[in-house]
Amino acid sequence: MKEFKPLPAQPAPNDTIGPIHWMKENLFSSPVNTIVTLAIIAFFATVIPPLVDWLFISANWVGNTQSACTNENGACWVFVIAWSKQFFYGSYPVEEIWRVNLCLIGLVAIIIASFKLNKDLRNKIAIPLFLLLPFISILFLDGSWIGLEYVSTDYWGGFTLNVLLAAASIIVAFPLSFLWALGRRSDMPFIRSVSIVLIEFFRGVPVLALFFMGSVMLPLFFPEGTNVDKLVRVWIVLTLFMSGYMAEVFRGGFQAVPKGQYEAADSLGLNFWQKTLLIILPQVIKISMPNILATFVMLFKNTTFLLIIGIFEMLSTTQTALTNSNWLGGHSTEGYLFVAVVFWICCFSMSMISNSIERKLDTSHKN
Amino acid sequence: MPEKPLVKSSPSFFNNPRNRSLIYQFLLLIGLAYFFYGIVSNTLANMEARGIKSGYDFLSTTAGFDILMSLVPYDATHTYGRTFIVGLLNTILVSTIGIILSTIVGFLMGIAHFSHNWLIRKLAVAYIETFRNIPLLLQIFFWYFAVLAALPSARQSMSFGEMIFLNVRGLYFPGLIAESGAGIVYGAIAAAIAGIFILIRWAKNRQNETGQQFPVLSTSIGILLGLPLLALFVSGFPFIWDFPALKGFNFRGGITVIPELMALALALTIYTGAFIAEAVRAGIQAVPQGQREAARSLGLKESKIMKLIIVPQAMRVITPLLNSEYQSLVKNSTLATAIGYPDLFTVFVGTTLNQTGQAIEIVFMTMAVYFVINMSISFVMNRFNASVELAERN
Amino acid sequence: MKRVTSVIATSLAIGLSFGAQAGTLEDVQKRGNVSCGVSTGLAGFSQKDEHGTWSGLDVDVCRAVAAAVLGDASKVQYKPLTAKERFTALQSGEIDILSRNTTWTHTRDTSLGLNFAGVNYYDGQGFMVSKDLGVKSALELDGAAVCIQAGTTSELNLADYFRANGITYKAITFDTSDQTRGGFESGRCDVLTSDQSQLYALRIGLKDPASAMVLPEVISKEPLGPVVSQGDDAWFNVVRWSLMAMVEAEFLGIDSASADKAKAEGNPSQKRLMGSEGDSGSKMGIPAEWGYNIVKQVGNYAESFERNVGTGSPLKISRGLNAQWNKGGIMYSSPVR
Repeated sequence: MKEFKPLPAQPAPNDTIGPIHWMKENLFSSPVNTIVTLAIIAFFATVIPPLVDWLFISANWVGNTQSACTNENGACWVFVIAWSKQFFYGSYPVEEIWRVNLCLIGLVAIIIASFKLNKDLRNKIAIPLFLLLPFISILFLDGSWIGLEYVSTDYWGGFTLNVLLAAASIIVAFPLSFLWALGRRSDMPFIRSVSIVLIEFFRGVPVLALFFMGSVMLPLFFPEGTNVDKLVRVWIVLTLFMSGYMAEVFRGGFQAVPKGQYEAADSLGLNFWQKTLLIILPQVIKISMPNILATFVMLFKNTTFLLIIGIFEMLSTTQTALTNSNWLGGHSTEGYLFVAVVFWICCFSMSMISNSIERKLDTSHKN
Repeated sequence: MPEKPLVKSSPSFFNNPRNRSLIYQFLLLIGLAYFFYGIVSNTLANMEARGIKSGYDFLSTTAGFDILMSLVPYDATHTYGRTFIVGLLNTILVSTIGIILSTIVGFLMGIAHFSHNWLIRKLAVAYIETFRNIPLLLQIFFWYFAVLAALPSARQSMSFGEMIFLNVRGLYFPGLIAESGAGIVYGAIAAAIAGIFILIRWAKNRQNETGQQFPVLSTSIGILLGLPLLALFVSGFPFIWDFPALKGFNFRGGITVIPELMALALALTIYTGAFIAEAVRAGIQAVPQGQREAARSLGLKESKIMKLIIVPQAMRVITPLLNSEYQSLVKNSTLATAIGYPDLFTVFVGTTLNQTGQAIEIVFMTMAVYFVINMSISFVMNRFNASVELAERN
Repeated sequence: MKRVTSVIATSLAIGLSFGAQAGTLEDVQKRGNVSCGVSTGLAGFSQKDEHGTWSGLDVDVCRAVAAAVLGDASKVQYKPLTAKERFTALQSGEIDILSRNTTWTHTRDTSLGLNFAGVNYYDGQGFMVSKDLGVKSALELDGAAVCIQAGTTSELNLADYFRANGITYKAITFDTSDQTRGGFESGRCDVLTSDQSQLYALRIGLKDPASAMVLPEVISKEPLGPVVSQGDDAWFNVVRWSLMAMVEAEFLGIDSASADKAKAEGNPSQKRLMGSEGDSGSKMGIPAEWGYNIVKQVGNYAESFERNVGTGSPLKISRGLNAQWNKGGIMYSSPVR
């Protein structure tokens, strides 16, 4: 008998491979699609060249003062460059800026460490450090308690203030919101209702109103004669606001932990706190990670609203720069665009990280 | 004979979970009471020291300032209480517009994510990732100071048939002034809407029973236009047209949509739309692939698959997310204060607070209003959620 | 809720600093700096430059006080405040002086527990219009759209003025002065109203400053000055006389360049101001050379004015009402003797 010999495989038909086919399939598959494609291309063709010209080709890059912006048809990046130190660090003294940088590096290092270290080290070192970080940073940035030069909070500012405020708030909000979420699940009716009221209040009220509360109302709440630094007041408000949101994130996480985990822990004879902290919490945090990041991004973007109550974060520094009598040339487009780009880069990379965590956690087989 | 209790020795007092929970709650109550007592007594002492009078008397004093846009009659001689109403209505207006438009934009962009056209797909992704990640305040500035400010001045307005005008001062429509007899037309509109609801229900029942479809959409449009038109003829057109016209510095007459409203509504729509699009995308992806394949094998058209099979199932994932997006839209509308749209926050926490100095009362009232609005949204959305939830059949 | 208390308690421990109850002067001397509430950014009055240095007419008041009390004009702690917070900050003792473009009114002076220590700028509300509108007076503005900054007394003044003259208008309110300018420039409104000092700053910010003009009408009186809390007379005197010294120095013809000469070989009144004669300093509990320190380090009123808002600045505001009383203005200081 003749042995069966398959014919060599034929190459794919010419019209199903190559860029031409790809374009046919993806851009011009139907008359409607063709029109849409052409319209989109035409739109970009008219918008992009003048934009590139304004942004880069005709833009003014070199100089220190407003008069260096000679080309009227281009952006005045001199403005952004001259003010860049203010935009990033506020008025923090130049020779002390290393302290701000160190705090930022510390933040990043501890976050990376808590992902990379082994479990034992993580529980014993990284997590306590993480929770203490806001307080350590404040001691460090303020300086007067640890023998460094004292820098009043009035000099803190710029983009680093946005980052540090957001980070300090979310870190303190971690334990707080966890307790609120636990309270909301509690069997004790009074504790449950207090938790619900707290959570719903801080979620249901605009953050701008909370900021106003921090700036105009909180001073009335403290005993007469005491005066609490404005930044601390804002920090309290941001933390409470954040806790409301995070408590709901944690509640979702609690619900997603399989019931068997609770029962298994109970059957091992663990008490309530052992069960919650050792068995449930790690799983909750893992499940909630993408949502925690999303909430952080929201908080981070919301720190720009602080401009309404006169805190020199990045956007408000930009507005100050625009009202300086030596820079009254209408640079608002450049200034706001720069702020937008900086925030976009940060928020976009965080949402990328969040997506990748989500993919890693996602073990379902959809397709 | 009395029964012997099963457990003889009850656990010690502190180990009894009931007692423990009572003690915890009691401690919390005391802590709370102490906390609030502290705050209230401090506040009262501080207010006395600073000569601040508390109370809501200011609501009935004359405001003395003007508000750019008002849905109810208002001028500087009205009271602060009236400014509260004006601001509240403006907040509700912009929130409603924002919620409707952002839902449309969000669903379009979320579905566009699954388009067959590569460019549309990429455009949807670019839209979501750009507008989701830039602070809203900057986006409001962008629409107001960059886009809308580029419109022509009042004298060089763009005009559409000499009836609708668009310039940097706003969008001007011809308005209708009602005369006697207009009630018939309003009644006809109400009747048409009621008729459409009945029609939809009837058509659905008929389809369930007989499988025959009824052209609901075209009939509804017919009823909605036809009935009021008929009423107009019957009553002899009881309206006068009020055309906008350039008089002095500005257009007068007709209906004006101020650019602050346009910019705020645009920014809220685009920003929230990006979040809704992301929610829609997640919802559609959560629908098992098998559903789509099953629908295809039944021979449904692609557009029908989306509408009848995918989106209804995706709604289960989307609705809770929509709920929180709508709530943040309402809360974000407070940023109106940055461009001077006279919403509750601008009018009340802005100008009124500054003039009366009643910080506690005003901030409290404002918070309460937003809280109530958000609770109502939550209530409606939870009802809606219950209707789309998976109906388990036994 | 226990948690909330504990959070607040923790933050109290961090942010707590007891405010000055009495004896601000001693507090300032002990602390070694003057805590001064300024605006978050107001061209010519209090502004921060790209190096973080504060300057402006309001800022110079703070610097003068620091020079008088501590002998060093740079020992000022600036607290940027929004309009809503300014009085609270003073009442709670967070700041020693409020020098933030604040109008001296009866209500503020009598019911808020504050004292105005003087006037460092006489201002008034005015209008700016585009030249091609062809308007020569505010009375021709019937039906106009008016750009205005929210939360200021200007809003009330405007309503009063137009109502009194039977003129209709539409007020378009913005949050900051820069946004107000943006609204005017884009043609959102026909008129921009604000304190005159700010109108000049806003006008320079326009793409084409020559296209706009400031109308002659001034519809309100706005005497702006530094504020201290009530009931601390020693401190009130220091602030009042620091301001006076700048005006008096201009009157006596002493500026920062001639301060040394005036101190050594000036006429008696010059010497009294410079502290080389008499004991004006010790009467206030501050160094004898207080006047010399102010003039030497900050300058006299004319120097401060020209440097910040006058010909030496981009604003180019003329002295007008703020000239010395013998030169057509109303700036007048009591004699140091």
